[in-house]
Amino acid sequence: MSEKAPGVRIGGLTVVYKTPAGELPAVRDVTLTLEPGSITGIVGESGSGKSTLALSLLNAVQPPGRIAAGSVEIDGLGDVVGLAGERLRKARGRHIGYVFQAAQNSLNPLKTVGKQLLDLGRSHGVEDLRGLVREAKELLSRMGLDGARVLDSHQHELSGGMRQRVGIMLALVLNAHLVVLDEPTTALDMITQANILKIVREVHAERGLTTLVITHDIGVVAEVADRLAVMYGGRLVEQGPTREVLGSPRHPYTRGLIRAIPRLVGDIDEAQALPGRPPTLVTVPKQGCVFRERCPLRMDVCDDVDPEAVAYGPRTVACHAVTVKEHA
Amino acid sequence: MITGTGVVKTFKQRGKVLGAREVRALRGVDFAIPKGGAASFIGESGCGKTTLGRIIAGLEAYDEGEVAIDGVSMSALKPKHRQPHFRKIQMIHQDPYSALNPTRTIHQTLHAPLTLRAGQTGRPRSWVDERAAEVLSLVGLDPGTVLSRYPHQLSGGMRQRVVIARALTVDPEMLVADEAVSMIDVSLRLGILSLLKDLRERLGVSVLFITHDVATARYIGGDGELYVIYRGQVVERGAVDTIIADPVHPYTQSLLSAIPVLHGLEQPSEQPVVPLESLDESRFDDGCLFARRCPFRGERCAEERPLLQITEGVPQEHACFYPERRSVIARPMSEV
Amino acid sequence: MSVLLESASTSAAMRRNFWAGVWRVMKRKPSRMVGVVLVAGFAFMGLFGPMFYPAQLPLDPTQITRPPSWEHWLGTDDQGRDVIALVVTGSRYVLLAALVTAVITVVLGTAVGLFSGFKRGRWDTVLMRITDMKLTIPGLPLLLVLSTVWKFSSAVQMGLVLGLLSWGGVARAVRSQTLSLRERGFIEAARGLGLSTTHIVGKELLPSMAPYIAMNMLIAITGGVYAQVGLFFLGVLPYESNNWGQMLNTAVFRSGALTVPSALGFLIGPLLAILLLTLAIVLVVDAMDEIFNPRLREE
Repeated sequence: MSEKAPGVRIGGLTVVYKTPAGELPAVRDVTLTLEPGSITGIVGESGSGKSTLALSLLNAVQPPGRIAAGSVEIDGLGDVVGLAGERLRKARGRHIGYVFQAAQNSLNPLKTVGKQLLDLGRSHGVEDLRGLVREAKELLSRMGLDGARVLDSHQHELSGGMRQRVGIMLALVLNAHLVVLDEPTTALDMITQANILKIVREVHAERGLTTLVITHDIGVVAEVADRLAVMYGGRLVEQGPTREVLGSPRHPYTRGLIRAIPRLVGDIDEAQALPGRPPTLVTVPKQGCVFRERCPLRMDVCDDVDPEAVAYGPRTVACHAVTVKEHA
Repeated sequence: MITGTGVVKTFKQRGKVLGAREVRALRGVDFAIPKGGAASFIGESGCGKTTLGRIIAGLEAYDEGEVAIDGVSMSALKPKHRQPHFRKIQMIHQDPYSALNPTRTIHQTLHAPLTLRAGQTGRPRSWVDERAAEVLSLVGLDPGTVLSRYPHQLSGGMRQRVVIARALTVDPEMLVADEAVSMIDVSLRLGILSLLKDLRERLGVSVLFITHDVATARYIGGDGELYVIYRGQVVERGAVDTIIADPVHPYTQSLLSAIPVLHGLEQPSEQPVVPLESLDESRFDDGCLFARRCPFRGERCAEERPLLQITEGVPQEHACFYPERRSVIARPMSEV
Repeated sequence: MSVLLESASTSAAMRRNFWAGVWRVMKRKPSRMVGVVLVAGFAFMGLFGPMFYPAQLPLDPTQITRPPSWEHWLGTDDQGRDVIALVVTGSRYVLLAALVTAVITVVLGTAVGLFSGFKRGRWDTVLMRITDMKLTIPGLPLLLVLSTVWKFSSAVQMGLVLGLLSWGGVARAVRSQTLSLRERGFIEAARGLGLSTTHIVGKELLPSMAPYIAMNMLIAITGGVYAQVGLFFLGVLPYESNNWGQMLNTAVFRSGALTVPSALGFLIGPLLAILLLTLAIVLVVDAMDEIFNPRLREE
């Protein structure tokens, strides 16, 4: 356990998908740094490119998609974009643990969890399989499960929350220090969700991880993440410390998104819907700001020029209107 | 007015001849939803809230008890005579992708129930097309562009609006929305919710909202009643804001404690309630169904099952022997 | 107003759109066009082919069992008749019987499967027990027994018997499709709206299963061809007219096509016809999913 949490620097990353209408960018020119030992949350709607971005971390974008430009530097691994074949396969699992979206369904229904664990160990050339099982049991009991029982179980014998925890265990058991959780609590109940989020926080701190959480639910990010990045139409529109972004959002999309959340107390009518609808790969504007169609602060310049991400202390915001206001 | 008394539903697991397991989905539930009013069922998945919604919409039969629509008892009627009554209650499904037939255009989808309705009410055929355009406008869609489309050509939010428009074709008195926004993009959810709220106000349809998200329940039915359902039993029932602010049942308290806190905007509660263990429905409970998970359980709880009741000093009905108000939700920063 | 006008003409426009969509789907892959052309060719052959030949094909005693030549592209049979002429005149019986088989298989199978899956309960149990019983009856031995009392002189009779023997599989498959579809939101919504069972089955369920049914229909045609050709080839059935199975039988057992090279054309003729028909149908089946799924059709 001498390794420590790696930092990740994503620079100018563009991922395109081949469609009948040509190659369209699902992620465009995204620059994001995951500080060692931090939990970063990426929030976005369907089609925002958040899952594609997460897959790029493993260099696992599947055809018809491909990484067209940019780099993903991970401490101790180098630029993942350049990795291929056996080295890439070894990196996944060893360095980067990935908990898939709907981990509830990503287990093999025909094999017990223990068998799948051994498969994982063998495919990564683990010699001490006993040690691996011991480690898995320890992780499971840390997450409040009976390790021996769970390893003996098939997928259908486990509840949604238990499967999610098994997913986290499989991501961590090879001692990965960079963990990506894709929609970790979708389809889980409130109480189970709260429990899983607590576990994510605690395991993160105890094992010294760098964690990336991908979600559509601002509440999930608010609960666990130190930093929050908001994606829209393949672009990173705002990022910064979670509390600051939630407390005083600057990008009109972030503001709209937060205002559209119904609250438990206060005036019901404070919640306001965002007009329009999120773009798809095909409808996302080719030039200019991706959000302008729904934006209350739209200016002429937004039609032609894609706003650059401008840093304001620990925050960055990509919006012409905000830039103008700051410099006024 | 739709009322229910002592509704019981048991699912039998098929296949096993010996030792067939029974799942108690509903253990005697009472409810009343007034005309034009609103009610919300909240609880974890598998608590029976969806089954209850389906029973109310006439899509599922119940084993015991009574459901009455506008005073007409459904148990007394033969199944085929129930349909005209259940027509007044329309279901809005969770998944707008499977709720519309992919092989039929929106025009065809709306045409069939409207033609039926025209026949029932003695309206001319020309009314059908007029009305199709009208219901689409009601849900905020442009009939000119939507009518000729297939479902796959619409976004999730638009599909859900079409589903609501289809429900409106038969002039319902109540809409049952079962997690109606959980599969819709976050920025579009509020649009659908405010549409339902708007329909309540404009058309006087009542809305039964089934969800695990208390905040959305409050948004649509803030003036109505909230039913907290746990393992087939209503454990707390009362005005939405009362229950959110001062829940007395430990289960409601743990449900509300689990809502993510928007740090930076909200201040978390100082006394959140966390269940002692996770839900295990395979275990049999004699007493209170929540007792094993309850951090505040007393001696009585293991032996006796508390029933929904009113006790002194508590404005809402609850099923707990030791009701105590605990404020568990996060408060906005501005209030603190 | 524009809305009203539009919807009045919608159904006609939709039909036009449908065929335009079908054309688009077919154009997408050249193999599908090949399949369609072949199927059309076989239909033409079955319908009009025999008209080009005299009722009694000319015999040429000097040209008995000849290998392919310029005069007879696939050679001649043991009576000196042209093999191609035999294949063409023999196609009508085979294709008609296969078509009748397919129609009966699909209509009966779909009807039983739909009814059983939609009604569930007692009807389902009874119908499925009957289907199971039917599925356990071995087809070939039964046909052998039947052929001792019945001569199958007309293609329709042949198709009828084969069809009645083969609907079981389709019924089972359609039932399971119905069972899964009826849980879908749109079927439930249709029930909640009070739409009639006829509407639900005819307008909601059936179109959703259309690609499936169409595929079964096409595959049943090949099944029908194999079954009768097999029967005639085995020589179980006495034949009164030409058909492909009888040709194979004669070629193998009378002319010894397996050992005598000069009779090879006689064997290849009907085999080639069956092969091409199967190929044509496989190529067309490939397009069915896209034809009946509006999303795939429009793209």
